[in-house]
Amino acid sequence: MIILGIETSCDETSLAVLNSKRRRLKLESFLVSSQTKLHARWGGVVPELAARRHAETIIPLLQETLQRAKVKPQDLDLIAVTAGPGLITALQVGVETAKALAATWRLLVVPVNHIAGHLVSPFLTPANWKLVWQRQTWPAVALVVSGGHTELYLMRSLAKWQLLGKTLDDAAGEAFDKVAKMLGLPYPGGPRVAKLAASGNPAAYDFPRPMLKTADSNFSFAGLKTAVRYSLPMRPSAQRKNDICASFQQAAIDVLVNKTLRAVAKHNAHTVIVGGGVSANQALRDAFAKALPSLERKSRLLFPEFRFTGDNAAMIALAAAVQTNFRIPPVKRNQLALQANANWELWN
Amino acid sequence: MTDLTVKKVISSSAAQTKKLGQKLAKQLRGGEVLALSGDLGSGKTTFIKGLAKGLGVKQTITSPTFVLFKVYPVKHRDIRHFVHVDCYRVRGAELNHIGLADYLGEPHTVVAIEWAEKLKQRKPTTMRLIFTLGKRSNERRITIKKPTRY
Repeated sequence: MIILGIETSCDETSLAVLNSKRRRLKLESFLVSSQTKLHARWGGVVPELAARRHAETIIPLLQETLQRAKVKPQDLDLIAVTAGPGLITALQVGVETAKALAATWRLLVVPVNHIAGHLVSPFLTPANWKLVWQRQTWPAVALVVSGGHTELYLMRSLAKWQLLGKTLDDAAGEAFDKVAKMLGLPYPGGPRVAKLAASGNPAAYDFPRPMLKTADSNFSFAGLKTAVRYSLPMRPSAQRKNDICASFQQAAIDVLVNKTLRAVAKHNAHTVIVGGGVSANQALRDAFAKALPSLERKSRLLFPEFRFTGDNAAMIALAAAVQTNFRIPPVKRNQLALQANANWELWN
Repeated sequence: MTDLTVKKVISSSAAQTKKLGQKLAKQLRGGEVLALSGDLGSGKTTFIKGLAKGLGVKQTITSPTFVLFKVYPVKHRDIRHFVHVDCYRVRGAELNHIGLADYLGEPHTVVAIEWAEKLKQRKPTTMRLIFTLGKRSNERRITIKKPTRY
């Protein structure tokens, strides 16, 4: 089954061709066109600009993706597209393009939830893909952590998920971005905070670990952000900035790691999955690797490859393969009625 | 120019800020646009969480910074939707492009705008709430400006 994946939920236009033949998986081609530079001067993604750039980029990118995969439109079996959550104007470019292509090429469109993509993203790596079929992989506890989301899921298989908890206010990546803004760091802020943190002292400030002790699997990062705000001197020195970043990052990581591992213990999970933009944070990866042996049961830790941590179409194509159970479903008559949904929650 | 009633309240905790939101919710009848301004961590979102609870929103209010605004269904005699807007990232007309205009001033809708001071064009607001820090660490001062005859 050859799947064309389309992702335009925020500021990355991405296309991928994924070939899944029974238990074999091959990513034939995969491209991401990032708009980071376009949005830098605005200090954040501007929806109208994002949508325009998606519209300009998507067709040339499609041609190149198909060319690199050496695939013709008539070889494709289905089109997978992110239908939400995300910025509505950005999502619409992907969804409407998918519908137009599907109508022309007489293909099925499979709407994919962006979060479902992040959940399956570690399995794009061939070595991890084999684990999907092994009984000792499941259940897994999966943390999706990015600029827009912080959610914890229990996965009984690649296609069966259940929400355990989520952030009650800000996403973890959003807290990183806001701390960056307070410190006057340029956009995108998250990776800059991580970079400064590397040369700071994580114990310099004792920032709160919100909801660390609660029994549920929910998160909160607004209070942490506020605490950072109040610890900020008028003109922080470079070293002070590094210390604030390091201490803030440590607090955020402590909460993410501890709450995830507690859920792992509670649900007797065999695997820990961490996906989303913040999963590219090396300190977070190290903290998980360091904390894992403290669990009673030996668990496996899975991260996506760095190129699959951000928004990408490869994970969307894979999620569609999982969703259709690796079979080509018949084309639905009403599929042109498909609409992007900015607030599509995976657990609904 | 309409007469304005200015009310100043001091909240000594996040829980109290939330209660104030809940209390204000009881005065709303639909069609209101609330403009909230104040620094990061000054209590805007906490207030809105209370406001939503007071209106009868069942879902958790989470930050709309990423998607710019979120619409919540409301179980209320007169109000159907609660719209939570965040202008932290964008200025002015951007919000209209993504469909906010459909909700502003609609009779069965309450709109609450955070970081309203960033809007270049003033939206037609019924109430302005200004959040500032108090002297003590958890203290917040909230100034509410609304038309007298409201």
